[in-house]
Amino acid sequence: MKGNIQKRIIKDKQMYLLLFPVILFFAIWHYIPMWGARIAFQDVMYIGANKWAGLKHFQLLFSSPVFLKVFMNTIIISSMKMFLIFPLPIILAFMLNEVTSIGFRKSVQSVIYLPHFLSWVVIAGLFISLLASPEGAVNKVRIFFHLKPIAYMTSTTHIRWVFVFSEIWRSIGWDSILYIAAINSIAPALYEAATIDGATPFQQAMNITFPAIIPTIVTVFILNLGFFMNAGFDQVFNMMNDAVINHVDIIDTYVYRVGLMQGNYSLGTAAGLFKGIIGLILILSTDRLSRKLTGEGVW
Amino acid sequence: MSVKRHGIGHFIIIILLAVGALILVYPLYNQLVISLTGTDYISRASGTTIIPYGFTLSTYKTVLAIPKVARGVFNSIFITAVGLVINIVFTSMGAYVLTKRDLVGRRFFITMIVITMIFEGGLIPDYFLMRKLHLLNSYWSVILYKAVNPYYLIILMRFFDQVPPSLTEAARIDGLSETKILFKIVIPVSVAGIATVSLFYGVFHWNEYFRAMIYLTDEMKYPLQVVLRELLISAEKASFIGSMNFLKVTAAAQLDIKAIKAALIIISIVPILAFYPFVLKYFVKGRLEGSVKE
Repeated sequence: MKGNIQKRIIKDKQMYLLLFPVILFFAIWHYIPMWGARIAFQDVMYIGANKWAGLKHFQLLFSSPVFLKVFMNTIIISSMKMFLIFPLPIILAFMLNEVTSIGFRKSVQSVIYLPHFLSWVVIAGLFISLLASPEGAVNKVRIFFHLKPIAYMTSTTHIRWVFVFSEIWRSIGWDSILYIAAINSIAPALYEAATIDGATPFQQAMNITFPAIIPTIVTVFILNLGFFMNAGFDQVFNMMNDAVINHVDIIDTYVYRVGLMQGNYSLGTAAGLFKGIIGLILILSTDRLSRKLTGEGVW
Repeated sequence: MSVKRHGIGHFIIIILLAVGALILVYPLYNQLVISLTGTDYISRASGTTIIPYGFTLSTYKTVLAIPKVARGVFNSIFITAVGLVINIVFTSMGAYVLTKRDLVGRRFFITMIVITMIFEGGLIPDYFLMRKLHLLNSYWSVILYKAVNPYYLIILMRFFDQVPPSLTEAARIDGLSETKILFKIVIPVSVAGIATVSLFYGVFHWNEYFRAMIYLTDEMKYPLQVVLRELLISAEKASFIGSMNFLKVTAAAQLDIKAIKAALIIISIVPILAFYPFVLKYFVKGRLEGSVKE
């Protein structure tokens, strides 16, 4: 058996040669930084080797009111996005499914997928301009209806909603693709039979389409839950400003600002590691949940 | 089609979708209009301007003449092109080997790659690594950073899985090396797969700003996205163009900041818009092949 394995390895030596640089890339760009994250447990020394500091930086982190705020912001922003946005691509897929003109459907689809490919820098630019006070489009409309213009980007009560809406703008189309594909794979015979029985399009959607895509809905939801701690660094980073920072600062922006920019390397890494470990637990437990519910893991 | 499908419900859905799509595309359209508005009208242009009064392309000419912007366009193209070649070569090498089911250690290697999808060292260890490798302020930092994306590797594996084994077997009997089989047979018959991951990588490089911002210190190496971000955040015309250039590029000094921003936004999305209609089907295919997000 052992000789057999050796023989197989020798036979595939060209294969291993091809794989080698790829594995090297992963070792360098992923595994060395994982090892590097140990500075969360160390004091960074400018001369000589770093000193072990145990859980000192984690204690500092958890006793810091700023980090507590940051942690809460992460959960609030992520929850708003997750629960408020989740149903929308499903509804959109249902609506698109009702459209009988293929040309119209294709045009709508190609328009709504587009924002997914724009960078958050561009999207931030678009929304800053769209929501500007008083000359942005939204405030122009408000003024037309004799409402007071609102400076959305610097308003602490509105900025999180700006995140929700810009996220919808960017991903509603793209996220509907999976549901559209699931709907397309439903056997047409089911609809034909239902039509003969006199079912209305609405009844068909509720009794045929919806039950058929429930597994897709569950899988996507579980997958999203696994990434719950990612509240959207690029979005927050590009849309935040001094006026709203206390309401939008999330763990990832905290790592950048306090860790990297202000040079608190150990503290920043500890914050990142804390987020990474919660994320890991979430991903592993949602995967188990998925195995239980759908008989299939998401990973 | 039944008659009922054309009832009032169908009509309402059509209207909702059409209005929704228009609202979705409007912010982009508005920026396009502002970027094309003539200097005499620009001060009155706003979020509800839908016609470019005093139509002119001069804003683009002026904006592209700002040294930072011109360099930004060049840097973005350079980083995207070089990055893409490296991505494709190594991702297909990895995908090719890992689709071979009886490879000893295959499970181990795949597990090693999947782990990187769910856990990472983080921003600060990444930065320290770059510093240690002396790659700070080098284009390579942005190009090489995570040169093989695990998600795209898995997408490409699904495409390579569909290559009929008889093709590669025949080549092996003819004595072709594995490298030749990959580059002369597997890649050419997997055009859709290569196109799909190229597009994802291409968009990724073109839109990259954060790593470029922290790894590159020389402004003349900034890609377009970083230049755009600077303008959006600082919102100060003089500091953006630079006091030195401010005197030189007098045309830019006379431009409205609104118009500069709009033109820069449009310039940065033109490549995406130009490719988009032709490549959409590959994107959608990629979204479906990669059951995992992003």
